[in-house]
Amino acid sequence: MNISHHLTDETIQDYASGSLSMPMETLVACHLTVCSRCRNRAALSDGVAGSLFNEIKSVSVSTSASDLLARASSMPAHSAPLTNAEGRSAPLVTGVPRPLARLLSVPLEELDWRRIAPGIKQHNLSDQHRKHGAFQLLHLEPGTVLSAHSHNDRELTYLVEGSYTDETGTFKAGDIADLDGHDHTHQPVVDSEVPCIALIATQSPVNYSGVLGKIMQPFVGI
Amino acid sequence: MNTIVATPPEKRVIAEKDDAKAGEKTEASAELRKRMGDNLVAIGKYKDEKAFSDLYTYYAGRVKSFLMGKGMSDQIAEELMQEIMLTIWRRAESYDPKKAAASTWLFTIARNRRIDYLRGNSRIEVELDDEMLNLETTEEDPQAKYVNDQQAAEQLERALSKLPQEQRQVMHLSYFRGQSHGAIAKWLDLPIGTVKSRIRLAMQAVRVNLQNEEEALRSKTK
Repeated sequence: MNISHHLTDETIQDYASGSLSMPMETLVACHLTVCSRCRNRAALSDGVAGSLFNEIKSVSVSTSASDLLARASSMPAHSAPLTNAEGRSAPLVTGVPRPLARLLSVPLEELDWRRIAPGIKQHNLSDQHRKHGAFQLLHLEPGTVLSAHSHNDRELTYLVEGSYTDETGTFKAGDIADLDGHDHTHQPVVDSEVPCIALIATQSPVNYSGVLGKIMQPFVGI
Repeated sequence: MNTIVATPPEKRVIAEKDDAKAGEKTEASAELRKRMGDNLVAIGKYKDEKAFSDLYTYYAGRVKSFLMGKGMSDQIAEELMQEIMLTIWRRAESYDPKKAAASTWLFTIARNRRIDYLRGNSRIEVELDDEMLNLETTEEDPQAKYVNDQQAAEQLERALSKLPQEQRQVMHLSYFRGQSHGAIAKWLDLPIGTVKSRIRLAMQAVRVNLQNEEEALRSKTK
Protein backbone atom coordinates (compact mmCIF):
# COMPACT_ATOMS: atom_id res chain seq x y z
CA MET A 1 0.00 0.00 0.00
CA ASN A 2 1.30 3.40 -0.92
CA ILE A 3 0.29 5.72 1.87
CA SER A 4 0.25 9.44 1.23
CA HIS A 5 -2.05 10.80 3.97
CA HIS A 6 -0.98 10.26 7.57
CA LEU A 7 -2.02 10.84 11.17
CA THR A 8 -1.03 14.14 12.79
CA ASP A 9 1.39 14.17 15.72
CA GLU A 10 -1.42 15.42 17.97
CA THR A 11 -3.63 12.44 17.17
CA ILE A 12 -0.74 10.00 17.67
CA GLN A 13 -0.04 11.70 20.99
CA ASP A 14 -3.69 11.35 22.05
CA TYR A 15 -3.60 7.69 21.06
CA ALA A 16 -0.46 7.17 23.14
CA SER A 17 -1.91 8.94 26.16
CA GLY A 18 -5.14 6.92 25.95
CA SER A 19 -7.43 9.89 25.37
CA LEU A 20 -9.21 8.73 22.23
CA SER A 21 -12.65 7.13 22.06
CA MET A 22 -13.04 3.51 20.98
CA PRO A 23 -14.11 4.49 17.43
CA MET A 24 -11.14 6.85 17.06
CA GLU A 25 -8.77 4.18 18.39
CA THR A 26 -10.16 1.76 15.81
CA LEU A 27 -9.38 4.13 12.95
CA VAL A 28 -5.91 4.93 14.28
CA ALA A 29 -5.14 1.21 14.67
CA CYS A 30 -6.38 0.50 11.11
CA HIS A 31 -4.02 3.11 9.70
CA LEU A 32 -1.12 2.01 11.92
CA THR A 33 -1.58 -1.53 10.57
CA VAL A 34 -0.87 -0.45 7.00
CA CYS A 35 1.50 2.49 7.67
CA SER A 36 4.91 1.73 9.19
CA ARG A 37 5.78 5.43 9.32
CA CYS A 38 2.91 6.24 11.69
CA ARG A 39 3.44 2.97 13.58
CA ASN A 40 7.02 4.01 14.32
CA ARG A 41 5.82 7.40 15.45
CA ALA A 42 3.29 5.79 17.76
CA ALA A 43 6.05 3.61 19.22
CA LEU A 44 8.15 6.72 19.74
CA SER A 45 5.25 8.41 21.55
CA ASP A 46 4.99 5.40 23.87
CA GLY A 47 8.73 5.66 24.47
CA VAL A 48 8.41 9.35 25.31
CA ALA A 49 5.61 8.52 27.76
CA GLY A 50 7.81 5.89 29.39
CA SER A 51 10.71 8.29 29.69
CA LEU A 52 8.56 11.04 31.22
CA PHE A 53 6.75 8.54 33.46
CA ASN A 54 9.81 8.35 35.73
CA GLU A 55 9.50 12.07 36.36
CA ILE A 56 5.93 12.22 37.62
CA LYS A 57 5.41 12.93 41.27
CA SER A 58 4.63 9.85 43.31
CA VAL A 59 1.63 9.73 45.68
CA SER A 60 1.29 7.56 48.76
CA VAL A 61 -0.27 4.12 48.44
CA SER A 62 -2.03 2.16 51.17
CA THR A 63 -0.78 -1.33 50.32
CA SER A 64 2.71 -2.80 50.46
CA ALA A 65 4.18 -5.06 47.78
CA SER A 66 4.17 -8.06 50.14
CA ASP A 67 0.52 -7.51 51.16
CA LEU A 68 -0.46 -7.32 47.52
CA LEU A 69 1.38 -10.54 46.65
CA ALA A 70 -0.10 -12.26 49.73
CA ARG A 71 -3.56 -11.34 48.51
CA ALA A 72 -2.75 -12.22 44.90
CA SER A 73 -3.46 -15.91 45.50
CA SER A 74 -7.06 -15.12 46.40
CA MET A 75 -7.57 -12.83 43.42
CA PRO A 76 -8.62 -14.11 39.98
CA ALA A 77 -5.59 -15.58 38.20
CA HIS A 78 -6.56 -14.29 34.78
CA SER A 79 -6.76 -10.57 34.41
CA ALA A 80 -8.85 -8.87 31.74
CA PRO A 81 -7.21 -8.60 28.30
CA LEU A 82 -4.95 -5.59 27.80
CA THR A 83 -5.89 -5.13 24.17
CA ASN A 84 -8.91 -5.80 22.02
CA ALA A 85 -7.29 -8.77 20.26
CA GLU A 86 -5.73 -10.50 23.24
CA GLY A 87 -6.82 -14.10 23.62
CA ARG A 88 -9.12 -13.91 20.60
CA SER A 89 -8.75 -15.86 17.38
CA ALA A 90 -8.36 -14.10 14.03
CA PRO A 91 -11.55 -12.43 12.78
CA LEU A 92 -13.55 -14.13 10.03
CA VAL A 93 -13.57 -11.20 7.64
CA THR A 94 -10.29 -10.73 5.75
CA GLY A 95 -8.94 -8.06 3.40
CA VAL A 96 -9.42 -5.19 5.86
CA PRO A 97 -7.24 -4.32 8.88
CA ARG A 98 -8.20 -6.45 11.86
CA PRO A 99 -9.32 -3.60 14.13
CA LEU A 100 -12.12 -3.04 11.58
CA ALA A 101 -12.58 -6.74 10.72
CA ARG A 102 -13.40 -7.48 14.38
CA LEU A 103 -16.46 -5.25 14.09
CA LEU A 104 -17.83 -7.09 11.06
CA SER A 105 -19.68 -10.40 11.03
CA VAL A 106 -19.89 -10.58 7.23
CA PRO A 107 -17.68 -9.22 4.38
CA LEU A 108 -18.14 -5.56 3.46
CA GLU A 109 -20.33 -6.19 0.39
CA GLU A 110 -22.74 -8.34 2.42
CA LEU A 111 -23.32 -5.76 5.17
CA ASP A 112 -26.85 -4.38 5.55
CA TRP A 113 -26.09 -1.07 3.89
CA ARG A 114 -28.77 1.57 4.28
CA ARG A 115 -29.34 3.89 1.33
CA ILE A 116 -29.35 7.48 2.59
CA ALA A 117 -28.95 9.53 -0.61
CA PRO A 118 -28.33 8.89 -4.31
CA GLY A 119 -25.04 6.98 -4.57
CA ILE A 120 -24.56 6.91 -0.79
CA LYS A 121 -25.11 3.96 1.54
CA GLN A 122 -24.33 3.81 5.21
CA HIS A 123 -23.63 1.12 7.79
CA ASN A 124 -23.71 2.30 11.38
CA LEU A 125 -21.14 0.84 13.79
CA SER A 126 -22.16 2.80 16.85
CA ASP A 127 -24.95 2.14 19.29
CA GLN A 128 -24.58 5.61 20.76
CA HIS A 129 -26.66 8.68 20.04
CA ARG A 130 -25.16 10.70 17.21
CA LYS A 131 -24.63 13.72 19.43
CA HIS A 132 -21.65 11.75 20.82
CA GLY A 133 -20.24 11.60 17.31
CA ALA A 134 -20.55 9.16 14.42
CA PHE A 135 -18.91 5.79 13.90
CA GLN A 136 -19.87 4.37 10.55
CA LEU A 137 -18.92 2.93 7.18
CA LEU A 138 -19.92 4.82 4.04
CA HIS A 139 -20.34 3.17 0.65
CA LEU A 140 -20.08 5.73 -2.16
CA GLU A 141 -20.72 4.97 -5.82
CA PRO A 142 -18.14 6.17 -8.37
CA GLY A 143 -18.76 9.80 -9.32
CA THR A 144 -20.62 10.66 -6.10
CA VAL A 145 -20.10 14.25 -4.99
CA LEU A 146 -20.68 14.87 -1.29
CA SER A 147 -22.18 18.10 0.01
CA ALA A 148 -19.68 20.74 0.96
CA HIS A 149 -19.17 20.76 4.71
CA SER A 150 -16.81 21.71 7.51
CA HIS A 151 -16.05 20.18 10.92
CA ASN A 152 -16.15 21.39 14.49
CA ASP A 153 -13.89 18.88 16.08
CA ARG A 154 -11.61 15.97 15.35
CA GLU A 155 -12.74 13.71 12.55
CA LEU A 156 -10.93 10.69 11.17
CA THR A 157 -11.66 9.00 7.83
CA TYR A 158 -9.89 5.76 6.92
CA LEU A 159 -10.10 4.72 3.27
CA VAL A 160 -10.95 1.01 3.10
CA GLU A 161 -11.43 0.74 -0.68
CA GLY A 162 -11.59 3.02 -3.72
CA SER A 163 -10.57 6.66 -3.68
CA TYR A 164 -11.86 10.21 -3.38
CA THR A 165 -10.41 13.63 -3.98
CA ASP A 166 -11.08 16.88 -2.19
CA GLU A 167 -9.29 20.21 -1.73
CA THR A 168 -6.58 18.53 0.33
CA GLY A 169 -5.68 15.78 -2.15
CA THR A 170 -6.55 12.27 -3.31
CA PHE A 171 -7.22 9.62 -0.69
CA LYS A 172 -6.68 5.93 -1.48
CA ALA A 173 -6.99 2.68 0.45
CA GLY A 174 -4.91 2.88 3.64
CA ASP A 175 -4.83 6.68 3.73
CA ILE A 176 -6.29 8.54 6.67
CA ALA A 177 -7.80 12.00 6.64
CA ASP A 178 -7.06 13.48 10.06
CA LEU A 179 -9.10 16.66 10.28
CA ASP A 180 -9.31 18.74 13.37
CA GLY A 181 -11.72 21.63 13.62
CA HIS A 182 -10.58 23.32 10.44
CA ASP A 183 -12.70 26.22 9.25
CA HIS A 184 -12.57 25.67 5.53
CA THR A 185 -15.27 23.70 3.81
CA HIS A 186 -14.35 20.64 1.77
CA GLN A 187 -16.23 18.67 -0.85
CA PRO A 188 -15.08 15.10 -1.56
CA VAL A 189 -15.64 13.59 -5.01
CA VAL A 190 -15.40 9.81 -5.51
CA ASP A 191 -12.99 9.32 -8.42
CA SER A 192 -12.32 5.56 -8.32
CA GLU A 193 -13.88 3.15 -10.80
CA VAL A 194 -15.03 0.96 -7.92
CA PRO A 195 -17.20 2.13 -5.02
CA CYS A 196 -15.37 4.03 -2.33
CA ILE A 197 -15.72 2.58 1.16
CA ALA A 198 -14.69 4.78 4.06
CA LEU A 199 -14.62 4.22 7.81
CA ILE A 200 -15.46 7.38 9.73
CA ALA A 201 -15.36 8.52 13.33
CA THR A 202 -16.33 12.02 14.43
CA GLN A 203 -16.34 13.67 17.80
CA SER A 204 -19.28 15.89 17.03
CA PRO A 205 -21.68 16.27 14.09
CA VAL A 206 -20.40 17.95 10.95
CA ASN A 207 -21.76 21.27 9.60
CA TYR A 208 -23.21 21.23 6.12
CA SER A 209 -23.55 24.44 4.20
CA GLY A 210 -26.41 23.66 1.75
CA VAL A 211 -30.03 22.65 2.31
CA LEU A 212 -29.52 19.10 1.03
CA GLY A 213 -26.50 19.01 3.26
CA LYS A 214 -28.63 19.89 6.28
CA ILE A 215 -30.85 16.92 5.52
CA MET A 216 -27.88 14.62 5.13
CA GLN A 217 -26.04 15.99 8.13
CA PRO A 218 -27.11 13.27 10.52
CA PHE A 219 -25.81 10.52 8.27
CA VAL A 220 -22.65 11.49 6.47
CA GLY A 221 -19.33 12.22 8.00
CA ILE A 222 -16.47 12.59 5.54
CA MET B 1 16.78 29.14 33.56
CA ASN B 2 17.28 31.43 30.65
CA THR B 3 20.70 31.33 28.98
CA ILE B 4 20.13 32.51 25.47
CA VAL B 5 22.52 35.33 24.48
CA ALA B 6 25.48 37.09 26.12
CA THR B 7 25.31 35.28 29.42
CA PRO B 8 27.10 37.19 32.18
CA PRO B 9 30.08 35.23 33.60
CA GLU B 10 28.48 34.45 36.97
CA LYS B 11 25.44 33.02 35.26
CA ARG B 12 27.64 30.99 33.00
CA VAL B 13 29.10 29.26 36.03
CA ILE B 14 25.62 28.37 37.19
CA ALA B 15 24.80 27.07 33.74
CA GLU B 16 27.86 24.83 33.84
CA LYS B 17 26.83 23.58 37.24
CA ASP B 18 23.40 22.84 35.79
CA ASP B 19 25.06 20.89 33.02
CA ALA B 20 27.02 18.90 35.56
CA LYS B 21 23.81 18.25 37.47
CA ALA B 22 22.10 17.22 34.25
CA GLY B 23 24.97 14.79 33.67
CA GLU B 24 24.49 13.29 37.13
CA LYS B 25 20.78 13.11 36.51
CA THR B 26 21.27 11.23 33.24
CA GLU B 27 23.59 8.78 34.98
CA ALA B 28 21.14 8.24 37.80
CA SER B 29 18.26 7.66 35.43
CA ALA B 30 20.34 5.25 33.33
CA GLU B 31 21.03 3.29 36.50
CA LEU B 32 17.36 3.35 37.49
CA ARG B 33 16.32 2.23 34.04
CA LYS B 34 18.68 -0.74 34.14
CA ARG B 35 17.63 -1.71 37.67
CA MET B 36 13.92 -1.61 36.81
CA GLY B 37 14.49 -3.54 33.58
CA ASP B 38 16.45 -6.18 35.52
CA ASN B 39 13.65 -6.30 38.09
CA LEU B 40 11.06 -7.05 35.43
CA VAL B 41 13.24 -9.78 33.91
CA ALA B 42 13.80 -11.33 37.36
CA ILE B 43 10.06 -11.28 38.09
CA GLY B 44 9.33 -12.84 34.72
CA LYS B 45 11.94 -15.56 35.06
CA TYR B 46 11.96 -16.42 38.76
CA LYS B 47 8.91 -14.72 40.30
CA ASP B 48 11.48 -12.76 42.33
CA GLU B 49 9.53 -11.08 45.16
CA LYS B 50 12.44 -8.83 46.13
CA ALA B 51 12.63 -7.50 42.58
CA PHE B 52 8.88 -6.92 42.63
CA SER B 53 9.13 -5.09 45.93
CA ASP B 54 11.80 -2.74 44.49
CA LEU B 55 9.72 -2.13 41.35
CA TYR B 56 6.58 -1.59 43.42
CA THR B 57 8.27 0.86 45.77
CA TYR B 58 9.28 3.02 42.84
CA TYR B 59 6.26 2.69 40.55
CA ALA B 60 3.11 2.00 42.61
CA GLY B 61 2.84 5.63 43.72
CA ARG B 62 3.55 6.84 40.19
CA VAL B 63 0.93 4.59 38.63
CA LYS B 64 -1.59 5.84 41.19
CA SER B 65 -0.50 9.43 40.57
CA PHE B 66 -1.12 8.95 36.83
CA LEU B 67 -4.61 7.54 37.47
CA MET B 68 -5.53 10.33 39.87
CA GLY B 69 -4.05 12.93 37.54
CA LYS B 70 -6.38 11.65 34.85
CA GLY B 71 -9.35 12.22 37.14
CA MET B 72 -9.84 9.12 39.33
CA SER B 73 -10.62 9.32 43.02
CA ASP B 74 -8.00 8.21 45.55
CA GLN B 75 -9.91 5.04 46.36
CA ILE B 76 -10.53 3.89 42.79
CA ALA B 77 -6.99 4.82 41.76
CA GLU B 78 -5.65 2.75 44.66
CA GLU B 79 -7.69 -0.29 43.63
CA LEU B 80 -6.81 0.01 39.96
CA MET B 81 -3.14 0.58 40.81
CA GLN B 82 -3.13 -2.72 42.73
CA GLU B 83 -4.69 -4.48 39.78
CA ILE B 84 -2.10 -2.94 37.44
CA MET B 85 0.82 -3.93 39.68
CA LEU B 86 -0.59 -7.44 39.93
CA THR B 87 -0.88 -7.59 36.14
CA ILE B 88 2.79 -6.63 35.98
CA TRP B 89 3.66 -9.39 38.47
CA ARG B 90 1.79 -11.95 36.42
CA ARG B 91 2.85 -10.84 32.98
CA ALA B 92 6.46 -9.87 33.48
CA GLU B 93 7.61 -12.91 31.49
CA SER B 94 6.26 -11.23 28.35
CA TYR B 95 8.50 -8.21 28.98
CA ASP B 96 11.33 -7.95 26.45
CA PRO B 97 14.05 -5.52 27.54
CA LYS B 98 15.17 -5.21 23.91
CA LYS B 99 11.77 -3.89 22.87
CA ALA B 100 10.95 -1.32 25.53
CA ALA B 101 12.24 0.36 28.66
CA ALA B 102 10.58 -0.93 31.85
CA SER B 103 8.86 2.43 32.35
CA THR B 104 7.39 2.30 28.84
CA TRP B 105 6.07 -1.22 29.33
CA LEU B 106 4.60 -0.22 32.69
CA PHE B 107 3.00 2.91 31.31
CA THR B 108 1.32 1.07 28.44
CA ILE B 109 -0.14 -1.50 30.86
CA ALA B 110 -1.43 1.23 33.19
CA ARG B 111 -2.85 3.18 30.25
CA ASN B 112 -4.61 0.15 28.75
CA ARG B 113 -6.02 -0.96 32.11
CA ARG B 114 -7.39 2.52 32.72
CA ILE B 115 -9.09 2.53 29.32
CA ASP B 116 -10.61 -0.89 29.95
CA TYR B 117 -11.83 0.18 33.39
CA LEU B 118 -13.43 3.39 32.12
CA ARG B 119 -15.28 2.12 29.10
CA GLY B 120 -15.61 -1.62 29.65
CA ASN B 121 -13.81 -2.61 26.47
CA SER B 122 -10.13 -2.95 25.78
CA ARG B 123 -7.84 -0.61 23.94
CA ILE B 124 -7.75 -1.15 20.18
CA GLU B 125 -4.23 -1.85 18.93
CA VAL B 126 -2.46 -3.10 15.83
CA GLU B 127 -2.39 -6.91 15.70
CA LEU B 128 1.11 -8.02 14.87
CA ASP B 129 -0.10 -11.14 13.04
CA ASP B 130 -2.50 -9.14 10.85
CA GLU B 131 -1.90 -10.14 7.21
CA MET B 132 -2.52 -6.49 6.28
CA LEU B 133 0.44 -5.37 8.41
CA ASN B 134 2.86 -3.34 6.34
CA LEU B 135 6.43 -4.04 7.37
CA GLU B 136 8.28 -2.04 4.77
CA THR B 137 9.51 1.39 5.69
CA THR B 138 8.38 4.05 3.28
CA GLU B 139 10.92 6.61 4.41
CA GLU B 140 13.97 6.95 6.61
CA ASP B 141 12.67 6.03 10.05
CA PRO B 142 15.54 6.61 12.44
CA GLN B 143 13.19 6.93 15.38
CA ALA B 144 12.04 3.34 14.95
CA LYS B 145 14.93 1.82 16.81
CA TYR B 146 15.18 4.47 19.49
CA VAL B 147 12.75 2.82 21.79
CA ASN B 148 14.47 -0.53 21.51
CA ASP B 149 17.31 -0.77 23.96
CA GLN B 150 19.31 0.90 26.71
CA GLN B 151 21.37 3.10 24.44
CA ALA B 152 18.24 4.08 22.57
CA ALA B 153 16.49 4.98 25.82
CA GLU B 154 19.43 7.19 26.74
CA GLN B 155 19.33 8.91 23.39
CA LEU B 156 15.61 9.49 23.76
CA GLU B 157 16.14 10.93 27.21
CA ARG B 158 18.76 13.34 25.89
CA ALA B 159 16.48 14.30 23.00
CA LEU B 160 13.71 15.06 25.51
CA SER B 161 15.98 17.02 27.83
CA LYS B 162 16.65 19.47 25.00
CA LEU B 163 13.00 20.42 24.65
CA PRO B 164 11.96 23.88 25.84
CA GLN B 165 10.25 23.74 29.23
CA GLU B 166 6.89 24.85 27.80
CA GLN B 167 6.85 21.90 25.40
CA ARG B 168 7.88 19.40 28.05
CA GLN B 169 5.12 20.72 30.29
CA VAL B 170 2.44 20.25 27.65
CA MET B 171 3.68 16.72 26.84
CA HIS B 172 3.69 15.87 30.53
CA LEU B 173 0.17 17.20 31.06
CA SER B 174 -1.12 15.45 27.98
CA TYR B 175 0.19 12.03 29.07
CA PHE B 176 -0.41 12.14 32.79
CA ARG B 177 -2.89 14.87 33.68
CA GLY B 178 -5.47 16.34 31.33
CA GLN B 179 -8.19 14.29 29.71
CA SER B 180 -8.10 16.43 26.55
CA HIS B 181 -6.21 19.24 24.85
CA GLY B 182 -9.11 21.48 25.83
CA ALA B 183 -8.62 20.72 29.52
CA ILE B 184 -4.88 21.40 29.27
CA ALA B 185 -5.56 24.67 27.45
CA LYS B 186 -7.87 25.76 30.26
CA TRP B 187 -5.31 24.93 32.97
CA LEU B 188 -2.52 26.78 31.26
CA ASP B 189 -4.86 29.58 30.20
CA LEU B 190 -3.74 29.18 26.58
CA PRO B 191 -5.69 28.85 23.34
CA ILE B 192 -6.22 25.18 22.41
CA GLY B 193 -4.34 25.80 19.16
CA THR B 194 -1.22 26.72 21.15
CA VAL B 195 -1.44 23.48 23.14
CA LYS B 196 -1.72 21.46 19.95
CA SER B 197 1.13 23.27 18.23
CA ARG B 198 3.37 22.74 21.27
CA ILE B 199 2.71 19.01 21.11
CA ARG B 200 3.43 19.01 17.40
CA LEU B 201 6.63 21.06 17.83
CA ALA B 202 7.76 18.86 20.69
CA MET B 203 7.41 15.65 18.67
CA GLN B 204 9.11 17.23 15.67
CA ALA B 205 11.98 18.38 17.89
CA VAL B 206 12.31 14.93 19.45
CA ARG B 207 12.61 13.37 16.01
CA VAL B 208 15.19 15.94 14.89
CA ASN B 209 17.19 15.54 18.11
CA LEU B 210 17.16 11.77 17.69
CA GLN B 211 18.38 12.09 14.14
CA ASN B 212 21.22 14.31 15.36
CA GLU B 213 22.07 11.78 18.06
CA GLU B 214 22.18 9.09 15.40
CA GLU B 215 24.43 11.15 13.14
CA ALA B 216 26.75 12.00 16.03
CA LEU B 217 26.98 8.30 16.85
CA ARG B 218 27.68 7.40 13.24
CA SER B 219 30.48 9.96 12.90
CA LYS B 220 31.99 8.70 16.19
CA THR B 221 32.10 5.10 15.02
CA LYS B 222 33.65 6.08 11.68
